Amino acid sequence: MKNVAKKVRTTGALLLCTTIALLTACGGGANQAASNQPYDENAKANISWLNILHTASPPTDTILNKLEEKTNADIEFSWIPDASKEERINTSLASDSLADIVTLTMLDNSSVRNSLKSGLFWDVGPYLNEYPNLAKITEDTRRSASIGGTLYGIPFQKDLARNGVTIRKDWLDKLGLETPRTTEELMEVAKAFTENDPDGNGKKDTTGFVDRSDLIYGAFKTLSSYFGTPNVWEVSEDGKMTPEFMTQGYMDTMDYMKELYQGGYINQDFAVTAKTDQQQKFAQGRAGIYVGALFDSKNLLNMAKGLQDGMELVLVNDITSTGNESDRAIWAANNGIGGLLSFPRSEVKDEAELKRVLKFVNDLLDEESYALMTYGIEGTHYTVDDQDAATITNSDLWQQEVQPFASSRPKESGYKIHDADPLKKESDKLIAENAKYAVLNPAYALESETFSTQGSELQKTITDATYKYILGEIDQDGFEAAVESWKKAGGSNMISEYEAAYQETQS
Amino acid sequence: MAKPVSVSDASLLKLDRQKVRKRGFNIRKHMLLYLMILPGFLYFVVFKYFPMGGLIIAFQDYQPYRGIMGSEWVGFKHFIRLFTEPTFFMLLRNTLVLFALNIIFFFPLPIILALMLNEVRHKFFKNSIQTIIYIPHFMSWVIIVSITYVFLTVDGGVVNELLAAVGLPKISFLTSSEWLRTVYIGQIIWKELGWSTIIYLAAITVVDTQLYEAAEMDGANRLRKTWHVTLPAIRPVIITLLILKIGSTLDLGFEHMYLLLNSLNREVAEIFDTYIYTAGLRNGQLSYSTTVGLFKGVVGLILVMLSNRLAKKMGEDGVY
Repeated sequence: MKNVAKKVRTTGALLLCTTIALLTACGGGANQAASNQPYDENAKANISWLNILHTASPPTDTILNKLEEKTNADIEFSWIPDASKEERINTSLASDSLADIVTLTMLDNSSVRNSLKSGLFWDVGPYLNEYPNLAKITEDTRRSASIGGTLYGIPFQKDLARNGVTIRKDWLDKLGLETPRTTEELMEVAKAFTENDPDGNGKKDTTGFVDRSDLIYGAFKTLSSYFGTPNVWEVSEDGKMTPEFMTQGYMDTMDYMKELYQGGYINQDFAVTAKTDQQQKFAQGRAGIYVGALFDSKNLLNMAKGLQDGMELVLVNDITSTGNESDRAIWAANNGIGGLLSFPRSEVKDEAELKRVLKFVNDLLDEESYALMTYGIEGTHYTVDDQDAATITNSDLWQQEVQPFASSRPKESGYKIHDADPLKKESDKLIAENAKYAVLNPAYALESETFSTQGSELQKTITDATYKYILGEIDQDGFEAAVESWKKAGGSNMISEYEAAYQETQS
Repeated sequence: MAKPVSVSDASLLKLDRQKVRKRGFNIRKHMLLYLMILPGFLYFVVFKYFPMGGLIIAFQDYQPYRGIMGSEWVGFKHFIRLFTEPTFFMLLRNTLVLFALNIIFFFPLPIILALMLNEVRHKFFKNSIQTIIYIPHFMSWVIIVSITYVFLTVDGGVVNELLAAVGLPKISFLTSSEWLRTVYIGQIIWKELGWSTIIYLAAITVVDTQLYEAAEMDGANRLRKTWHVTLPAIRPVIITLLILKIGSTLDLGFEHMYLLLNSLNREVAEIFDTYIYTAGLRNGQLSYSTTVGLFKGVVGLILVMLSNRLAKKMGEDGVY
């Protein structure tokens, strides 16, 4: 009998073990790379990296092997699809299944912020100047990427303001229209594209704008900059904070969008359109105005190959509502910080290890690594001329093997090598120009308890009301009522918390 | 009718009864049975009961890096927030309305369809229909919502093009709060109707054929037979399924609604499941969303117990 009972226990224990093994197996991958022995600067390092994937599938090993050679490291990526990064990063943080390097892109997410502030990650501020490439990160960038004055990772250096308007040049020419410089002219173009049959097929099957269900990276926020709306928050001389949606510029933008919608100058279901559908529609010649990142233009043209072979594009970044050069403005996404490369203390155990990882990131910032992660291997993916202009020669292969690494580049501009594609060149130029007119969010580095806990909930109230206003379901009173309920549900607290935090930074 | 008694059972009855009583249960005697229960038992302990310990964070301001031991205890703070926020009533209303629509419009359909299928005499025809109507069940919600999108979109969707062709105004099905519920229930019917007939069809096959013969003797036609023989025979199954369904009242299915949800229909489309997801996983308010989840679970439990008691009162067996 004893034997039997023992057997039962063993079987149970075995089963339990299997279950536990199964349970932990999924979280184990990231941990293995971190070993306990201290790192020798020149020894081959094992580095695991929890990174964001912006393409449909992870890259093959071709570029990875080259990178490993270059950086003298074994790199093990865990890719998180961009669309599910919030829950994946949050669950990784909650379950402590991290890697040596963690790409944190949503610094305004409350749980990310809390874990940064809690000291889960190394403070890299004191180390940066020891490495040639990291030392070049400007004070401004370091400051905006800091939380409460501490830099919890290496900031991704992105262009400050990347948005603008892409218009079908061939359609403009066909209808005898000038490139628009004011919002009013842009409306005229949208109207003409809708009503005057720019594709000449005799059918009224085109619209001016094509937009997606995104008030920020879609058309709305960029247009709002043209109307002089602040970037998320506005701070007055005497330190009073105003959210963007309580400004006249925001109302004007809503009215503008409403006019577009009611006139039919924008795709009527933009409130439920996904980014890929939006770009498809543009590529299929169903619309002629695309508002978004300027460098999207190159993709749009690529997608249109075989569908709209006559497509020519013009990029515009100097639209204003008044026509005065002095009113030019364009919002800067996250104040130009693309996120942080952070190093959790649970994985990067001591200073020696941290230094090895920092050296790795430093090596990633090299010209050579940048070229590798942007264009691929010379001769295989691209050719380069004596002006350092690179042309992608095998774009299918490039998409598979190189493109996914875009998110692994800690810095995206300022290198000698550049794209030979005229549209990409043009967009790079305009994006660089945008920096002069960039509108920053004054509250980006400030702390608000209400924002941390309820920020996203509260924003939903405003986002919903904005859509409803544009689609004509509520009027101005209805919108103001929504703003009132925002205030009551915590908005007022948010304002006063930000004001207090702002005062502190000023004194 | 007495049950046949095997030799081993007999020995159990005679010799071990005292022992069994005394010791509660007899592992050695029923070794195999216990072994058979073990995997299921472990499954429940490991995946159902063990995680329940995590509910404790509903009473904390849980911060992952501090762990459950290190996080601050805040008592009923999150419950107070849940019940005082206006969102709560919206969530409750949306969930209950959708549940009611589900019971009224969806629940009876598989029963009717199963009864109709039962009347089909041509075997090949019946089998092919059954196979075909099972197919939608195996499609994921992503695909179904995408298909609906293609059909219903204002920009070139088939339905709206048809409306426009006959001179009717286009309807923005996907962005209006009036159509959300119709679309939602419609999709559920399309996806699950066929699959849900399986249990009823299985129940129908065990109906004693003598009853049909007897009914025929009494001159009952097909409709009468269905009404007086088949339906009463599958009534326990119907009641059981209804109770189970009521138990999952607040579990409307996250994925489906999340795909349909947008800024313009949120006031009728936001349900507990989608709210927990956005508050908990996307915004990292783990404690608060646990509170919402706990509330949901408690309501579900109460509803099951109530409906079970009701079923027993009505003379049915109930589920336990």
